[in-house]
Amino acid sequence: MTAARLSGPSVSAWTLPFFALLAIGALALAVFIGVVDIPPSQVVAALTGHGPATARSIIMDIRLPRVVTGILAGIHFAVAGLLLQAITRNPLADPSIMGVSQGATLAVAAFLLFAVYIHDPGSNTLAVLPTEWLPAVGMLGGLIAGGVIYALAFRRNLGPLRITICGIAVGAVLHALAIGLIAGWGSERIEILLQWLSGSLYARSWEHVVFLLPFTVAGLAVLPLLRRPLELLRFDAPIARSFGLSYRLQFSLALALSCCLAASAVGVVGPIVFVGLIVPHLARFFAGRRSSAVLPLTIVLGALVVTLCDLVGRLAGQAEEIPIGVVTAICGVPVLIALLRKVP
Amino acid sequence: MRKQMSLSCSRLSVAYGPRMALSDLDLSIEPGEVRALIGPNGSGKSTALQALAGLIQPTRGHAAIDGTPLRSMSRREIARRLAFLPQQPTAPDEMTVEQLVRQGRFAHVGLFRAYRQDDEEAIRWALQSTNLTDFAGRSLRELSGGERQRAWISAALAQEAQILLLDEPTSYLDIGYQIEVLDLIHRLSREKKVSIVVAIHDINQAMSVSDHISLLDRGSLVFDGEPAELARSGLIEQVFRVKGRFVQITPQAPPHFDVELARWNSALPNDARSSITQNSGNRPPADTTAERTSKQG
Repeated sequence: MTAARLSGPSVSAWTLPFFALLAIGALALAVFIGVVDIPPSQVVAALTGHGPATARSIIMDIRLPRVVTGILAGIHFAVAGLLLQAITRNPLADPSIMGVSQGATLAVAAFLLFAVYIHDPGSNTLAVLPTEWLPAVGMLGGLIAGGVIYALAFRRNLGPLRITICGIAVGAVLHALAIGLIAGWGSERIEILLQWLSGSLYARSWEHVVFLLPFTVAGLAVLPLLRRPLELLRFDAPIARSFGLSYRLQFSLALALSCCLAASAVGVVGPIVFVGLIVPHLARFFAGRRSSAVLPLTIVLGALVVTLCDLVGRLAGQAEEIPIGVVTAICGVPVLIALLRKVP
Repeated sequence: MRKQMSLSCSRLSVAYGPRMALSDLDLSIEPGEVRALIGPNGSGKSTALQALAGLIQPTRGHAAIDGTPLRSMSRREIARRLAFLPQQPTAPDEMTVEQLVRQGRFAHVGLFRAYRQDDEEAIRWALQSTNLTDFAGRSLRELSGGERQRAWISAALAQEAQILLLDEPTSYLDIGYQIEVLDLIHRLSREKKVSIVVAIHDINQAMSVSDHISLLDRGSLVFDGEPAELARSGLIEQVFRVKGRFVQITPQAPPHFDVELARWNSALPNDARSSITQNSGNRPPADTTAERTSKQG
């Protein structure tokens, strides 16, 4: 109450509802529009469980789970990016500085390599490779990488710069190892890996939604607990501690949460981590002075950006769709440069 | 019967690697007392304050609030009783004055509790006491150095702690704001019974604001007592390696330290001047008692 009064009238009171509506609009658009033309009446019928079987199958089994997976992953990356940028006080932080995407890449690459010896495919078809394990394997790899970096930085008091440097170093090593693994490979595994690496929502099903949703719910439920510590973590440690914050504990909690969110999403959709870099900046830009709006805006914009970028990728490429990771990177760079012009 | 001390430490020692930054510091501060901490650069003032605030782990000894050792208290418990303002603190750029001052209430509201009437009161009082009410909505980046310093003091005030540690709160302020801060320190100690330890460079400000002065030299406490006593001791000239004398300007105020500069002696005969250069070593003339680099620093 006092905050609003003392800060004067805010022009951005409608920002959050506006973007929330936009996100819902984008969701509807993504369900109604696709490579296969389905009349809107049939889409509505399919959503309520009626209409022709093909339309129902396309909407309920292909489009909807894909869009929902995208929304969840977008929220994960965006919130993880916001947390990391806040606690490392580094505006260019994203889940890759905790080695999450590199760790996941290495894990997925290693898994695909060794799966051959476990499964003995006997043929060259993709279906034989156990792709259903990729989300769990990728997530595990990301979490382990995050844990290693945390352990390295912990011995040095978790300085923000220290953790960034540890992250870059470990990330580079993991990346090199993954590339090394890929170098000696057959083409079909490379194809799966490349598709995963470029970040894709292609063929994402309800299983992926079920995999992600517990993390989304748990992660978002913890966020209110972190709201005040997050503000304090943006100060230097001595200042935050003299304000009464248990710095190490809260820093570790925020870090663990961002790693869990990012790693679970990376496992499912691949490293479309650019979302984690851009969306927090967008949220801060639109929130302006209302710092309390940054977090909800990050969540809404994370969902919105991924939905729209995926829709663009699907429509622009038609049958040969462009992976969302490519779209977010291409669209994101100009946005980032424009936003960072304000940074000294 | 022993008097109740709000903040105390015994044999408090801090080492940075092999170097002892603070050795065996014994202090006790009564409720409502203003204690000035003076000493050359690198004498351990900031280290002492940080150790008293529980921000650095002492290698030996301990600090205690109301007899309870700091290490047995959580950061929030400490922050409710003790506020600390470091030298030249930095805040996130886009933060407003009010957002900064609000952080001072974290120790009271914790993770969940909504801001109550008394929290809002404390914030309003903290802003008022530092004349920042009109600046509440301004971003810290837009403020002058003096205004920003007052915003930080305001955040420390919002903590409503009974102990306030200030590390050079008047540096970088013009004389008007310096006096404002010193008056605020006095008012807090007398009206709110806040115990205040202030590290300060200006010896005359230290003399005029404090009830007791503690003089540190190379990590050790060399004087602990009343300002007038310090004036008689001759320690200032010795520890800071300057020439000067204490003069009584007004009867009710503590004596004023008047420092001699080399240039004033240029009118003296040659033999007198050479004796001064011998005394003070090969240093540039100091324009104040404080602003000079030191060999220990």
